[in-house]
Amino acid sequence: MKTINVTINGTRYEETVPVRMLLVDFIRERLALTGTHVGCTYEGVCGACTIHLDGEAVKSCMLLAVQADGHEITTVEGLAKGGELSALQRAFRQHHGLQCGFCTPGILMNMTEFLVHNPTPTDDEIRQGLIGNLCRCTGYVHIVTSVRAAADELARTGGA
Amino acid sequence: MYPAKIDDYSRPATIAEAVAALASFGVGEAMCIAGGMSLMQAIKSRLVRPACLVDLQDVAELRGIRGSGGALSIGAMTRYVEIAGHAPFASGPFAALRDAASHVGDRQVRNRGTIGGSLCWNYMAACLPAAVLALGATLRLVGPGGERTIAIDDFLIGPLETARGEQEVLVSIDWKSAPARSGSAYKKWGLVKDALPVVGVAALVTLEANGACSAARLALAGLTAGAQRVPAGEAALLGSKGDAASLDRALEAVCANVDLHSDHWADAAYRGQLVRQLGRDVLTSAFARAKN
Repeated sequence: MKTINVTINGTRYEETVPVRMLLVDFIRERLALTGTHVGCTYEGVCGACTIHLDGEAVKSCMLLAVQADGHEITTVEGLAKGGELSALQRAFRQHHGLQCGFCTPGILMNMTEFLVHNPTPTDDEIRQGLIGNLCRCTGYVHIVTSVRAAADELARTGGA
Repeated sequence: MYPAKIDDYSRPATIAEAVAALASFGVGEAMCIAGGMSLMQAIKSRLVRPACLVDLQDVAELRGIRGSGGALSIGAMTRYVEIAGHAPFASGPFAALRDAASHVGDRQVRNRGTIGGSLCWNYMAACLPAAVLALGATLRLVGPGGERTIAIDDFLIGPLETARGEQEVLVSIDWKSAPARSGSAYKKWGLVKDALPVVGVAALVTLEANGACSAARLALAGLTAGAQRVPAGEAALLGSKGDAASLDRALEAVCANVDLHSDHWADAAYRGQLVRQLGRDVLTSAFARAKN
Protein backbone atom coordinates (compact mmCIF):
# COMPACT_ATOMS: atom_id res chain seq x y z
CA MET A 1 0.00 0.00 0.00
CA LYS A 2 1.15 3.53 -0.77
CA THR A 3 -0.28 6.88 0.25
CA ILE A 4 -0.71 9.23 -2.67
CA ASN A 5 -1.69 12.87 -3.11
CA VAL A 6 -3.47 13.87 -6.28
CA THR A 7 -5.47 16.91 -7.28
CA ILE A 8 -8.50 16.04 -9.36
CA ASN A 9 -10.65 18.79 -10.87
CA GLY A 10 -9.18 21.20 -8.33
CA THR A 11 -9.84 19.03 -5.25
CA ARG A 12 -6.90 17.54 -3.39
CA TYR A 13 -7.18 13.89 -2.34
CA GLU A 14 -4.91 11.92 -0.04
CA GLU A 15 -5.60 8.20 -0.29
CA THR A 16 -3.82 4.98 0.53
CA VAL A 17 -3.97 2.53 -2.37
CA PRO A 18 -2.53 -0.85 -3.36
CA VAL A 19 0.40 -0.43 -5.77
CA ARG A 20 -1.41 -2.49 -8.39
CA MET A 21 -4.53 -0.30 -8.43
CA LEU A 22 -5.07 1.19 -11.88
CA LEU A 23 -5.58 4.94 -12.04
CA VAL A 24 -8.95 4.50 -13.77
CA ASP A 25 -10.18 2.28 -10.92
CA PHE A 26 -8.91 4.80 -8.37
CA ILE A 27 -10.87 7.55 -10.13
CA ARG A 28 -14.04 5.50 -10.58
CA GLU A 29 -14.16 3.16 -7.60
CA ARG A 30 -12.39 5.11 -4.88
CA LEU A 31 -13.43 8.65 -5.75
CA ALA A 32 -16.75 7.75 -7.45
CA LEU A 33 -15.97 10.00 -10.42
CA THR A 34 -17.74 7.70 -12.84
CA GLY A 35 -17.67 10.00 -15.87
CA THR A 36 -14.37 8.36 -16.80
CA HIS A 37 -15.38 5.14 -18.54
CA VAL A 38 -13.88 1.70 -19.15
CA GLY A 39 -14.90 0.57 -22.64
CA CYS A 40 -12.42 -2.23 -23.23
CA THR A 41 -10.97 -4.71 -20.76
CA TYR A 42 -8.28 -2.28 -19.58
CA GLU A 43 -6.26 -3.01 -22.69
CA GLY A 44 -5.67 0.61 -23.63
CA VAL A 45 -7.50 0.26 -26.93
CA CYS A 46 -10.79 2.15 -26.51
CA GLY A 47 -9.72 5.52 -25.07
CA ALA A 48 -12.93 5.95 -23.03
CA CYS A 49 -10.83 6.36 -19.86
CA THR A 50 -8.82 9.29 -21.28
CA ILE A 51 -8.10 11.99 -18.69
CA HIS A 52 -5.69 14.90 -18.46
CA LEU A 53 -2.54 14.27 -16.44
CA ASP A 54 -0.88 17.65 -15.92
CA GLY A 55 -2.89 18.90 -18.89
CA GLU A 56 -2.01 16.05 -21.26
CA ALA A 57 -4.42 13.44 -22.59
CA VAL A 58 -3.51 9.94 -21.36
CA LYS A 59 -5.44 6.71 -20.90
CA SER A 60 -6.00 6.16 -17.20
CA CYS A 61 -6.15 2.36 -17.57
CA MET A 62 -2.52 2.45 -18.68
CA LEU A 63 -1.26 3.97 -15.45
CA LEU A 64 -1.16 2.90 -11.84
CA ALA A 65 -2.69 5.27 -9.31
CA VAL A 66 0.72 5.53 -7.60
CA GLN A 67 2.21 6.94 -10.80
CA ALA A 68 -0.18 9.90 -10.50
CA ASP A 69 1.09 10.79 -7.02
CA GLY A 70 1.90 14.51 -6.94
CA HIS A 71 0.17 15.22 -10.21
CA GLU A 72 -2.86 17.18 -11.31
CA ILE A 73 -5.70 15.41 -13.06
CA THR A 74 -8.74 16.66 -14.91
CA THR A 75 -11.60 14.29 -15.68
CA VAL A 76 -14.67 14.92 -17.81
CA GLU A 77 -16.45 16.19 -14.68
CA GLY A 78 -13.93 19.05 -14.62
CA LEU A 79 -14.57 20.37 -18.15
CA ALA A 80 -17.64 22.45 -17.34
CA LYS A 81 -16.82 25.60 -15.36
CA GLY A 82 -19.38 27.03 -12.95
CA GLY A 83 -22.11 24.88 -14.49
CA GLU A 84 -21.28 26.12 -18.02
CA LEU A 85 -20.39 23.44 -20.54
CA SER A 86 -17.14 23.97 -22.45
CA ALA A 87 -17.27 24.99 -26.11
CA LEU A 88 -16.42 21.42 -27.11
CA GLN A 89 -19.17 19.96 -24.93
CA ARG A 90 -21.70 22.43 -26.36
CA ALA A 91 -20.61 21.53 -29.88
CA PHE A 92 -21.07 17.80 -29.22
CA ARG A 93 -24.61 18.46 -27.98
CA GLN A 94 -25.50 20.79 -30.82
CA HIS A 95 -24.10 18.63 -33.62
CA HIS A 96 -25.11 15.21 -32.26
CA GLY A 97 -21.49 14.21 -31.67
CA LEU A 98 -22.68 11.22 -29.67
CA GLN A 99 -25.26 8.48 -29.81
CA CYS A 100 -24.95 6.11 -26.86
CA GLY A 101 -22.38 8.45 -25.32
CA PHE A 102 -20.18 5.82 -23.74
CA CYS A 103 -17.03 6.89 -25.59
CA THR A 104 -17.80 10.60 -25.26
CA PRO A 105 -15.91 11.40 -22.02
CA GLY A 106 -12.66 10.07 -23.46
CA ILE A 107 -13.17 11.85 -26.77
CA LEU A 108 -13.92 15.14 -25.01
CA MET A 109 -10.76 14.85 -22.92
CA ASN A 110 -8.58 13.91 -25.88
CA MET A 111 -9.99 16.57 -28.21
CA THR A 112 -9.89 19.31 -25.55
CA GLU A 113 -6.11 18.90 -25.37
CA PHE A 114 -5.83 18.37 -29.13
CA LEU A 115 -7.43 21.77 -29.78
CA VAL A 116 -4.98 23.45 -27.40
CA HIS A 117 -2.10 22.26 -29.58
CA ASN A 118 -3.90 22.60 -32.90
CA PRO A 119 -6.58 25.31 -32.73
CA THR A 120 -7.21 25.29 -36.49
CA PRO A 121 -7.20 21.61 -37.45
CA THR A 122 -8.20 20.13 -40.78
CA ASP A 123 -10.78 17.34 -40.76
CA ASP A 124 -7.98 14.91 -41.54
CA GLU A 125 -5.99 16.10 -38.53
CA ILE A 126 -9.08 15.69 -36.32
CA ARG A 127 -9.51 12.12 -37.57
CA GLN A 128 -5.81 11.40 -36.98
CA GLY A 129 -6.21 12.82 -33.48
CA LEU A 130 -9.12 10.47 -32.79
CA ILE A 131 -7.20 7.25 -33.54
CA GLY A 132 -7.00 6.40 -29.84
CA ASN A 133 -10.75 6.67 -29.23
CA LEU A 134 -13.19 4.02 -30.41
CA CYS A 135 -16.79 4.99 -31.14
CA ARG A 136 -19.03 2.14 -32.25
CA CYS A 137 -22.17 4.20 -32.97
CA THR A 138 -21.49 7.29 -34.98
CA GLY A 139 -18.98 6.43 -37.68
CA TYR A 140 -17.20 9.58 -36.42
CA VAL A 141 -18.86 11.93 -38.92
CA HIS A 142 -20.72 13.95 -36.31
CA ILE A 143 -17.77 13.76 -33.92
CA VAL A 144 -15.50 15.39 -36.51
CA THR A 145 -18.21 17.99 -37.22
CA SER A 146 -18.48 18.75 -33.50
CA VAL A 147 -14.73 19.18 -33.04
CA ARG A 148 -14.57 21.37 -36.14
CA ALA A 149 -17.46 23.49 -34.82
CA ALA A 150 -15.78 23.84 -31.42
CA ALA A 151 -12.53 24.93 -33.10
CA ASP A 152 -14.45 27.58 -35.08
CA GLU A 153 -16.26 28.73 -31.96
CA LEU A 154 -13.02 28.98 -29.98
CA ALA A 155 -11.42 30.95 -32.82
CA ARG A 156 -14.36 33.37 -32.81
CA THR A 157 -14.44 33.87 -29.05
CA GLY A 158 -10.71 33.63 -28.40
CA GLY A 159 -10.81 30.60 -26.09
CA ALA A 160 -12.98 28.99 -23.40
CA MET B 1 -6.94 -7.40 -17.36
CA TYR B 2 -5.88 -6.43 -13.89
CA PRO B 3 -2.33 -6.33 -12.52
CA ALA B 4 -1.08 -9.08 -10.25
CA LYS B 5 0.02 -7.96 -6.81
CA ILE B 6 2.94 -5.54 -6.80
CA ASP B 7 4.66 -5.27 -3.43
CA ASP B 8 6.60 -2.08 -3.77
CA TYR B 9 6.98 1.09 -5.80
CA SER B 10 9.79 3.60 -5.73
CA ARG B 11 10.27 6.87 -7.54
CA PRO B 12 13.94 7.92 -7.59
CA ALA B 13 14.91 11.48 -8.54
CA THR B 14 18.37 10.77 -9.97
CA ILE B 15 20.05 8.08 -12.07
CA ALA B 16 22.18 7.11 -9.06
CA GLU B 17 19.07 6.68 -6.91
CA ALA B 18 17.42 4.62 -9.66
CA VAL B 19 20.40 2.27 -9.88
CA ALA B 20 20.47 2.00 -6.08
CA ALA B 21 16.74 1.27 -6.01
CA LEU B 22 17.10 -1.53 -8.59
CA ALA B 23 20.09 -2.97 -6.70
CA SER B 24 18.15 -3.02 -3.43
CA PHE B 25 15.85 -5.73 -4.78
CA GLY B 26 16.77 -9.30 -5.61
CA VAL B 27 17.60 -10.26 -9.18
CA GLY B 28 14.44 -10.57 -11.24
CA GLU B 29 12.25 -8.77 -8.70
CA ALA B 30 12.33 -5.11 -9.74
CA MET B 31 11.57 -3.59 -13.11
CA CYS B 32 11.96 -0.04 -14.37
CA ILE B 33 8.81 1.63 -15.62
CA ALA B 34 9.21 4.48 -18.10
CA GLY B 35 6.00 5.56 -19.88
CA GLY B 36 4.53 2.13 -19.20
CA MET B 37 2.77 1.85 -22.56
CA SER B 38 4.15 -1.66 -23.13
CA LEU B 39 5.03 -2.67 -19.59
CA MET B 40 1.59 -2.02 -18.13
CA GLN B 41 0.03 -4.26 -20.76
CA ALA B 42 2.57 -6.97 -19.95
CA ILE B 43 1.89 -6.58 -16.24
CA LYS B 44 -1.89 -6.70 -16.71
CA SER B 45 -1.71 -9.79 -18.90
CA ARG B 46 0.81 -11.26 -16.40
CA LEU B 47 3.47 -11.78 -19.02
CA VAL B 48 5.72 -10.23 -16.36
CA ARG B 49 5.10 -10.09 -12.61
CA PRO B 50 7.50 -7.60 -11.03
CA ALA B 51 7.49 -7.47 -7.23
CA CYS B 52 8.63 -3.87 -7.40
CA LEU B 53 8.44 -1.04 -9.90
CA VAL B 54 11.12 1.63 -10.10
CA ASP B 55 9.36 4.56 -11.75
CA LEU B 56 11.76 6.78 -13.73
CA GLN B 57 9.34 9.70 -14.27
CA ASP B 58 11.10 12.05 -11.83
CA VAL B 59 14.63 11.52 -13.16
CA ALA B 60 15.12 14.81 -15.01
CA GLU B 61 18.57 13.73 -16.32
CA LEU B 62 16.83 11.12 -18.48
CA ARG B 63 14.72 13.63 -20.39
CA GLY B 64 15.29 15.82 -23.38
CA ILE B 65 16.95 16.11 -26.77
CA ARG B 66 20.38 17.74 -26.76
CA GLY B 67 22.39 18.52 -29.87
CA SER B 68 25.60 20.45 -30.49
CA GLY B 69 27.97 20.50 -33.44
CA GLY B 70 26.31 17.55 -35.13
CA ALA B 71 26.33 15.41 -31.99
CA LEU B 72 22.96 14.31 -30.64
CA SER B 73 21.84 12.83 -27.34
CA ILE B 74 18.26 11.78 -26.65
CA GLY B 75 17.40 11.05 -23.04
CA ALA B 76 15.86 7.62 -22.58
CA MET B 77 12.72 9.10 -20.98
CA THR B 78 12.07 11.45 -23.90
CA ARG B 79 8.52 10.87 -25.06
CA TYR B 80 7.28 10.18 -28.58
CA VAL B 81 5.38 13.48 -28.62
CA GLU B 82 8.65 15.35 -28.03
CA ILE B 83 10.52 13.49 -30.78
CA ALA B 84 7.59 13.88 -33.18
CA GLY B 85 7.58 17.63 -32.56
CA HIS B 86 11.35 18.17 -32.73
CA ALA B 87 11.77 20.52 -35.71
CA PRO B 88 15.42 19.64 -36.54
CA PHE B 89 14.27 16.05 -37.25
CA ALA B 90 12.12 17.21 -40.19
CA SER B 91 14.88 16.25 -42.64
CA GLY B 92 18.45 14.95 -42.67
CA PRO B 93 20.00 11.96 -40.93
CA PHE B 94 17.65 11.80 -37.91
CA ALA B 95 14.32 12.22 -39.72
CA ALA B 96 13.47 8.51 -39.32
CA LEU B 97 13.06 9.14 -35.59
CA ARG B 98 10.34 11.68 -36.25
CA ASP B 99 8.68 9.46 -38.88
CA ALA B 100 8.54 6.61 -36.39
CA ALA B 101 7.59 8.57 -33.26
CA SER B 102 4.79 10.49 -35.04
CA HIS B 103 2.80 7.33 -35.71
CA VAL B 104 3.25 5.20 -32.60
CA GLY B 105 -0.18 4.18 -31.31
CA ASP B 106 -2.24 7.30 -30.83
CA ARG B 107 -1.98 10.76 -29.24
CA GLN B 108 -2.53 9.43 -25.75
CA VAL B 109 0.22 6.84 -26.17
CA ARG B 110 2.62 9.40 -27.65
CA ASN B 111 2.00 11.70 -24.67
CA ARG B 112 3.32 8.99 -22.38
CA GLY B 113 5.49 6.44 -24.22
CA THR B 114 9.27 6.91 -24.37
CA ILE B 115 12.06 6.05 -26.79
CA GLY B 116 14.07 4.34 -24.06
CA GLY B 117 11.12 2.27 -22.93
CA SER B 118 10.53 1.09 -26.48
CA LEU B 119 14.20 0.13 -26.96
CA CYS B 120 14.42 -1.72 -23.64
CA TRP B 121 11.19 -3.62 -24.25
CA ASN B 122 12.21 -4.35 -27.89
CA TYR B 123 8.89 -5.68 -29.09
CA MET B 124 9.27 -7.45 -32.44
CA ALA B 125 6.98 -5.05 -34.31
CA ALA B 126 7.91 -1.85 -32.46
CA CYS B 127 8.91 1.12 -34.61
CA LEU B 128 11.65 2.81 -32.58
CA PRO B 129 14.03 -0.17 -32.28
CA ALA B 130 14.15 -0.52 -36.07
CA ALA B 131 14.52 3.24 -36.61
CA VAL B 132 17.31 3.60 -34.04
CA LEU B 133 19.00 0.48 -35.44
CA ALA B 134 19.02 1.99 -38.93
CA LEU B 135 20.52 5.19 -37.52
CA GLY B 136 23.35 3.35 -35.77
CA ALA B 137 23.11 4.91 -32.30
CA THR B 138 25.32 4.27 -29.28
CA LEU B 139 23.44 3.61 -26.06
CA ARG B 140 24.64 4.74 -22.65
CA LEU B 141 23.74 2.61 -19.64
CA VAL B 142 24.45 3.01 -15.94
CA GLY B 143 24.45 0.13 -13.49
CA PRO B 144 25.96 -0.92 -10.18
CA GLY B 145 29.35 -1.34 -11.90
CA GLY B 146 29.30 2.16 -13.39
CA GLU B 147 28.67 3.43 -16.88
CA ARG B 148 29.10 1.67 -20.22
CA THR B 149 28.22 2.29 -23.84
CA ILE B 150 27.01 -0.23 -26.37
CA ALA B 151 26.16 -0.07 -30.07
CA ILE B 152 22.46 -0.45 -30.84
CA ASP B 153 23.34 -3.46 -33.04
CA ASP B 154 24.66 -5.26 -29.94
CA PHE B 155 21.96 -3.96 -27.61
CA LEU B 156 18.98 -5.38 -29.52
CA ILE B 157 19.34 -9.15 -29.20
CA GLY B 158 15.92 -10.35 -30.31
CA PRO B 159 12.21 -9.88 -29.62
CA LEU B 160 11.74 -8.82 -25.98
CA GLU B 161 15.44 -9.29 -25.35
CA THR B 162 18.24 -6.73 -25.00
CA ALA B 163 21.76 -6.56 -23.59
CA ARG B 164 20.60 -4.34 -20.74
CA GLY B 165 21.39 -5.89 -17.39
CA GLU B 166 18.45 -6.17 -15.01
CA GLN B 167 20.02 -3.64 -12.69
CA GLU B 168 21.03 -1.20 -15.39
CA VAL B 169 19.23 1.97 -16.46
CA LEU B 170 19.33 3.11 -20.08
CA VAL B 171 20.38 6.75 -19.88
CA SER B 172 20.56 8.05 -23.43
CA ILE B 173 20.66 7.28 -27.12
CA ASP B 174 23.65 9.06 -28.63
CA TRP B 175 25.34 9.95 -31.90
CA LYS B 176 28.84 11.45 -31.85
CA SER B 177 28.23 13.28 -35.09
CA ALA B 178 25.70 13.57 -37.87
CA PRO B 179 27.16 12.25 -41.12
CA ALA B 180 27.19 14.84 -43.92
CA ARG B 181 24.86 14.42 -46.95
CA SER B 182 22.79 11.84 -45.09
CA GLY B 183 19.08 11.25 -44.88
CA SER B 184 16.85 8.75 -43.15
CA ALA B 185 13.21 7.71 -43.17
CA TYR B 186 10.84 5.19 -41.60
CA LYS B 187 7.47 3.93 -42.76
CA LYS B 188 5.20 1.14 -41.60
CA TRP B 189 2.01 -0.63 -42.56
CA GLY B 190 -0.45 -2.16 -40.14
CA LEU B 191 -4.03 -3.39 -40.29
CA VAL B 192 -5.23 -0.32 -38.44
CA LYS B 193 -3.84 3.20 -38.88
CA ASP B 194 -0.84 3.82 -36.59
CA ALA B 195 -1.10 0.35 -35.02
CA LEU B 196 1.88 -1.89 -34.43
CA PRO B 197 3.09 -2.66 -37.93
CA VAL B 198 2.95 -5.89 -39.88
CA VAL B 199 6.11 -4.56 -41.51
CA GLY B 200 8.14 -1.40 -40.86
CA VAL B 201 11.16 -0.25 -42.87
CA ALA B 202 13.85 2.18 -41.72
CA ALA B 203 16.84 3.38 -43.72
CA LEU B 204 19.77 5.78 -43.51
CA VAL B 205 21.74 6.65 -46.64
CA THR B 206 24.90 8.73 -47.01
CA LEU B 207 25.62 10.21 -50.43
CA GLU B 208 28.79 11.26 -52.20
CA ALA B 209 28.99 14.71 -53.80
CA ASN B 210 27.73 13.20 -57.09
CA GLY B 211 24.64 11.80 -55.34
CA ALA B 212 25.75 8.16 -55.30
CA CYS B 213 25.17 6.19 -52.11
CA SER B 214 28.43 5.61 -50.21
CA ALA B 215 26.95 4.06 -47.05
CA ALA B 216 23.57 2.65 -46.09
CA ARG B 217 21.89 1.07 -43.10
CA LEU B 218 18.53 -0.61 -43.53
CA ALA B 219 16.44 -2.17 -40.77
CA LEU B 220 13.08 -3.93 -40.66
CA ALA B 221 10.44 -4.23 -37.95
CA GLY B 222 7.73 -6.85 -37.65
CA LEU B 223 9.44 -10.00 -38.87
CA THR B 224 10.14 -12.96 -36.59
CA ALA B 225 13.66 -11.75 -35.73
CA GLY B 226 12.32 -8.40 -34.50
CA ALA B 227 14.29 -5.26 -35.36
CA GLN B 228 17.00 -6.45 -37.73
CA ARG B 229 19.48 -5.02 -40.22
CA VAL B 230 19.71 -6.53 -43.69
CA PRO B 231 23.38 -6.32 -44.79
CA ALA B 232 22.69 -7.77 -48.25
CA GLY B 233 20.24 -4.95 -48.93
CA GLU B 234 22.64 -2.35 -47.59
CA ALA B 235 25.44 -3.62 -49.85
CA ALA B 236 23.12 -3.55 -52.86
CA LEU B 237 22.40 0.15 -52.24
CA LEU B 238 26.04 1.22 -52.58
CA GLY B 239 26.50 3.31 -55.71
CA SER B 240 22.75 3.80 -56.19
CA LYS B 241 21.61 7.31 -56.99
CA GLY B 242 18.12 6.62 -55.68
CA ASP B 243 16.56 5.69 -59.04
CA ALA B 244 13.65 3.26 -58.89
CA ALA B 245 15.45 0.41 -60.67
CA SER B 246 18.41 0.35 -58.30
CA LEU B 247 16.19 0.69 -55.22
CA ASP B 248 14.03 -2.20 -56.40
CA ARG B 249 17.14 -4.36 -56.95
CA ALA B 250 18.27 -3.61 -53.40
CA LEU B 251 14.83 -4.42 -52.00
CA GLU B 252 14.81 -7.76 -53.87
CA ALA B 253 18.07 -8.48 -52.06
CA VAL B 254 16.37 -7.56 -48.78
CA CYS B 255 13.45 -9.92 -49.43
CA ALA B 256 15.80 -12.74 -50.41
CA ASN B 257 17.72 -12.46 -47.13
CA VAL B 258 15.04 -12.25 -44.44
CA ASP B 259 12.51 -14.69 -43.02
CA LEU B 260 9.15 -13.56 -44.43
CA HIS B 261 6.67 -15.52 -42.37
CA SER B 262 2.94 -16.06 -42.85
CA ASP B 263 0.39 -15.44 -40.14
CA HIS B 264 -3.24 -14.35 -39.84
CA TRP B 265 -2.29 -10.75 -40.63
CA ALA B 266 -0.34 -11.31 -43.84
CA ASP B 267 1.12 -14.20 -45.78
CA ALA B 268 4.77 -14.34 -46.76
CA ALA B 269 4.20 -13.06 -50.31
CA TYR B 270 2.25 -10.09 -49.01
CA ARG B 271 4.93 -9.33 -46.41
CA GLY B 272 7.48 -9.31 -49.23
CA GLN B 273 5.32 -6.89 -51.18
CA LEU B 274 5.10 -4.65 -48.11
CA VAL B 275 8.90 -4.66 -47.78
CA ARG B 276 9.24 -3.67 -51.45
CA GLN B 277 6.57 -0.97 -51.39
CA LEU B 278 7.46 0.57 -48.02
CA GLY B 279 11.15 0.17 -48.84
CA ARG B 280 10.76 2.10 -52.10
CA ASP B 281 8.99 4.96 -50.27
CA VAL B 282 11.47 5.00 -47.40
CA LEU B 283 14.59 4.92 -49.58
CA THR B 284 13.23 7.56 -51.96
CA SER B 285 12.53 9.78 -49.00
CA ALA B 286 15.95 9.09 -47.39
CA PHE B 287 17.77 9.96 -50.64
CA ALA B 288 15.76 13.20 -50.97
CA ARG B 289 16.44 14.15 -47.35
CA ALA B 290 20.17 13.49 -47.82
CA LYS B 291 20.26 16.05 -50.61
CA ASN B 292 18.59 18.81 -48.58
